[in-house]
Amino acid sequence: MSLLADAFTVVAVLAGLFFLAAGTLGLLRFPDPLSRLHALTKADGLGLGLIVLGLMPQAGSLLGALKLLLIWALAMFAGGTVGQMIARVARRDAS
Amino acid sequence: MAAALLRSAGLLAVWIVIGGADPKDLAVGIPTAAIATWFSLRLLPAGMFRPRPLALAGLLLRFPVQALLAGTEVARRAFDLRVQPGLVRYVRISPSPRRDAFLTWASLQPGTLPAGEDEATGAVLVHALDTSQLVHDSMVIEEARFTRAFGG
Repeated sequence: MSLLADAFTVVAVLAGLFFLAAGTLGLLRFPDPLSRLHALTKADGLGLGLIVLGLMPQAGSLLGALKLLLIWALAMFAGGTVGQMIARVARRDAS
Repeated sequence: MAAALLRSAGLLAVWIVIGGADPKDLAVGIPTAAIATWFSLRLLPAGMFRPRPLALAGLLLRFPVQALLAGTEVARRAFDLRVQPGLVRYVRISPSPRRDAFLTWASLQPGTLPAGEDEATGAVLVHALDTSQLVHDSMVIEEARFTRAFGG
């Protein structure tokens, strides 16, 4: 059981790292600031989500697992609100 | 009153998840949750949203799937660079806290990122990575889902 949980953690965290790397790649390669924001809010959000998912079986308690989930929710909420604000400023600067 | 109780219970639950349920932690957590409830009611008066539990649960359960689709789409485009970025106008809802909440939700959905209003017309400008996709239609469908969950 513990081996299964550990294997799940390794797979999910590696997948999370892949999406964080893809988000960084998008940040570097996308042509304009608004497109780069997609990379930051969406690919990185998924990357963090998968890392959180992978770490949940290792949290040791339900409260610990919920805390990890809450961190993801807060990061996504912050990404959703701040992403829009930066997008608004970037668009005005471009026009 | 019911809204205040519900929100303070929710905020206290968040405190317990972060800080634990030790009595010495709760001594700080309970007043903090009370102050946060006061701010919450001032910033978002009770009754502005009327969530429907089933539709809301459906929306929340769908969120991780949408996050997966959104992240995968961006990752794929980061590798093959097939992007056709542009702004799409979205005029269906007038400015309100409900619209702001929906736009935050929409910014986490695949392919769309609201980027403020067009100053002249008041339309929301939504940035899309690929404007050949049906961006406006997907926003309409998502707004209907959001409205079912939060009322209004």
